[in-house]
Amino acid sequence: MDESSREKNAIKTPSASDMQYYYQHMFPFKVIFNWLNHSPKAGRDIINREFAMAFRSGAYKRYNSFSSVQEFKTAIEKANPDRFEIGAIYNKAPKERDSLLKTEMKPLEKELVFDIDMDDYDTFRTCCSGAQVCEKCWKFITLAMVVVNTTLKEDFAYEDLIWVFSGRRGAHCWVSDRRARILNDLQRRNVLDYVNVVRDRNADKRLSLKRPYHPHLVRSLELLKPHFAKIILEEQNPWQDDNRAFETLLPSLHDKNLIEALKKYWTENPGRSSRDKWNDIDLVASKDVKVNKKQDYIIRLRECKADLIIATLYPKLDIEVTKQTIHLLKSPFCVHPSTGKVCVPIDANFSPDQAPRLMDLQKEMENNGNNINKTTLQPFINIFQEHVNKIMKHDMGTAKRERAEEAKTSLEF
Amino acid sequence: MFRQSKKRASSRKNFSVTDGEDGQLILGTSSASEKKLYDSIYASKLSFYELPPQGEITLDQFEVWAIDRLKILLEIESCVSRNKNMKEIEAIIKPHLQKTMPFNMDNLEAKKKDYYSHFILRLCFCRSQELREKFVRAETLLFKLRFNMLTSQDQIKFVQSLNLPSLQFISDEEKEKLKVQLYQTVSSQLQFQLNLHDETQREAYFKREKFIKLPFEDVIELVGNRQVFLRGGYAYLPQFQQLNLLASEFASKLTQDLIVTQRNLPQLNEDDRLLPILQHLSSGYTISDFQPDQYSKEDGDITANSVYSADIAQHYPLCVKNLFRGLRENHHLRYNGRQQLSLFLKGIGLSADEAMKFWTNAFTNGGHITVDKFNKDYRYNFRHNYGLEGTRIKYKPWDCRTILSKPRPARGEYHGCPYRDYNVEKLSNDLAQMNLTKTQISAVLDSCQKTEYTIACTQVFEYTHGSASSRASEDQTHIAHPNLYFERSRLLQKQQPSS
Ligand code: SF4
Ligand SMILES: [Zn+2]
Repeated sequence: MDESSREKNAIKTPSASDMQYYYQHMFPFKVIFNWLNHSPKAGRDIINREFAMAFRSGAYKRYNSFSSVQEFKTAIEKANPDRFEIGAIYNKAPKERDSLLKTEMKPLEKELVFDIDMDDYDTFRTCCSGAQVCEKCWKFITLAMVVVNTTLKEDFAYEDLIWVFSGRRGAHCWVSDRRARILNDLQRRNVLDYVNVVRDRNADKRLSLKRPYHPHLVRSLELLKPHFAKIILEEQNPWQDDNRAFETLLPSLHDKNLIEALKKYWTENPGRSSRDKWNDIDLVASKDVKVNKKQDYIIRLRECKADLIIATLYPKLDIEVTKQTIHLLKSPFCVHPSTGKVCVPIDANFSPDQAPRLMDLQKEMENNGNNINKTTLQPFINIFQEHVNKIMKHDMGTAKRERAEEAKTSLEF
Repeated sequence: MFRQSKKRASSRKNFSVTDGEDGQLILGTSSASEKKLYDSIYASKLSFYELPPQGEITLDQFEVWAIDRLKILLEIESCVSRNKNMKEIEAIIKPHLQKTMPFNMDNLEAKKKDYYSHFILRLCFCRSQELREKFVRAETLLFKLRFNMLTSQDQIKFVQSLNLPSLQFISDEEKEKLKVQLYQTVSSQLQFQLNLHDETQREAYFKREKFIKLPFEDVIELVGNRQVFLRGGYAYLPQFQQLNLLASEFASKLTQDLIVTQRNLPQLNEDDRLLPILQHLSSGYTISDFQPDQYSKEDGDITANSVYSADIAQHYPLCVKNLFRGLRENHHLRYNGRQQLSLFLKGIGLSADEAMKFWTNAFTNGGHITVDKFNKDYRYNFRHNYGLEGTRIKYKPWDCRTILSKPRPARGEYHGCPYRDYNVEKLSNDLAQMNLTKTQISAVLDSCQKTEYTIACTQVFEYTHGSASSRASEDQTHIAHPNLYFERSRLLQKQQPSS
């Protein structure tokens, strides 16, 4: 509530000169450069890396590339885009594209990325709508981060991943492990499908996941279950609205008679809370079912309820972003053009009002003699820098190991 | 076989990628040494096609062998598009294999045919990424099908012959530690793929099953649908899924080989005898094997009147229904529509005399066209189609490919294929009237979207003929001919117990 009114009153969206100032004095070009390069010395991973710039006018300029931090900074400052995006590493430098045949440009590698957007939760979100977010609904995103992190780390053994606030109502995950960077499109698609359990966003059909659950689902359910009562039944309480309950709760049940009985009951007793309705399901079921089938019936019902927890809380991914190597995604530390918030790295303790705003940062700079170290942006830069250090260390380790491997195999011949 | 023109189609120049020397070519091939070579290649029944073929074949063989294999691959492709599962695909493809590409037997010709046809098609399908992917997909499935047809001894023998990096089985302790998760993962596969419907059966199987541990990237296609358990970057693959591993090895080798072949292809363009054949093979060749005579017409129940009856009309594909609709509304059809319908009707057994009756009636009963005018302007055309006038050629009913190659119908025209020509609304309406469910309709629309019109049509056939057409014994191949649609539909009805 108060967030949206604040947005209306106080926020002026960043102007072109605000952005100019930000790129000139604050944006951590070197950190981003090293992050994408995986090494302190400029190499292929950054030189052949595509950047795209998006402008206020709606113009979008693809195939930029930079071979040094200086060139990177100068070019962005000069073009002064609203935001810029990061794409794949190609076999040639993207800026030379015009002098090449189109077929000569081949995407080779890129971080594995995931994108979660609040939009996709609207079926069960009641606290806010549209572009708004608050602490309550941000919990969807936090939970999504936890589940995706666990999956990527435990199942795929990825280590170097970081989450970045998208500036308004979502989050991006960047996986920088070498093994993730070299995935081809087919592999990306499969990793995505593995992680992406809830494909249909409408909740007008039963999810009917296979039984027994795959271990990944068993674990995810365990992670989500403890939060279901608080987030869904209490805070969001989507099914207090009877029509919404008919449309998004009842279709998940397996038994027609039960659905009819509940519909009747809720029509006669309108406006019961989500928690009451959740409990009604069991009560009505136990009354109506014949004893001889009970055992089986109860199991089925419990499965439907488990599926529902997954349907409401399991991370909802924007699949397009993950599917292809060449897909571009907004760079960390960009400023969201309509909220003025910086896209900072985040963890499970983050909530959107903690993201620094460009306007505030400018004031901080004014007051502390242009010392960026003393701004509220600096802690986020430090976190990111630490992450980059870790990646570089891992990459150096892999490179060394690979060289050793090679030496060994070439000896054998 | 009579060797018309001998051609060293197999010379290393065409197939080999590594060196241009002819040194290894077996010249003046004695069939004995040839036999030895192919016996050794097929010692374990299947092949990964690692060496270029050697020996000589005729141009005739070159083309016929390639077409036979191509037909099988296209049929597989169609199955995949229609979302058939492995078992269904096997039921559809097996009879074809037995007919044209038998394997697993001691026959030099069959072995050579398999080996050469694979390599010839590599030449056709290496040219673009899209073609390569198509080819790899179909060949890999073919490989899987054949692997499944081997005895388990032969399977083991084949796997050993491959020299794959040694598979790492997990220890009993590791299996014990992960048994809950491993069982959760494979339990439904045991149920649905191995048909172990009983829990105790599944548990017993699981107890004996060995698991292979390998980087998840190596079995990536089992990752997306969560068919393997993942932990620490490794996938745990049950041994009964091993074929997937072989298949992905097969696919990745073939993909690489095709890229190399493409690079070497320009050399081949010098050979003007092969090029037209290759062009023909890779340019939108579709399966339409349909021979009208393959279905008996002895009933003679197709007459000028009966073609309107529900009993007959229920078997028409949508394009024919559309033509009838146009004919009824306008008491007329323009040239292409006339051709398409009259040849179709001829194909289902409408005699020349009955045809004249039918068309005279249809054109004159609206009152715009007199019998005189009909005789003057149209009669010749219909008689011509029956080979009774002019050059006296016996015209064949149009297959879908021909239909789709004609100009699209303009306003007031009714020829063509509704799956291409109708807009989404009209098509969904018609399909709903044929009692297709929403999901079925959207599956059909999907195929149309992908311009796979004959697949859409085959899907509709399957949906409207329900359980009858999914009986394993039935012919479920791709439909690419309106007359095939009709005949198969009638046949199914006849076989249906009259109850
Ligand atoms: S696919 Fe062939 S048979 Fe089916 S409607 Fe189109 S043209 Fe007719
Ligand atoms: Zn909210």
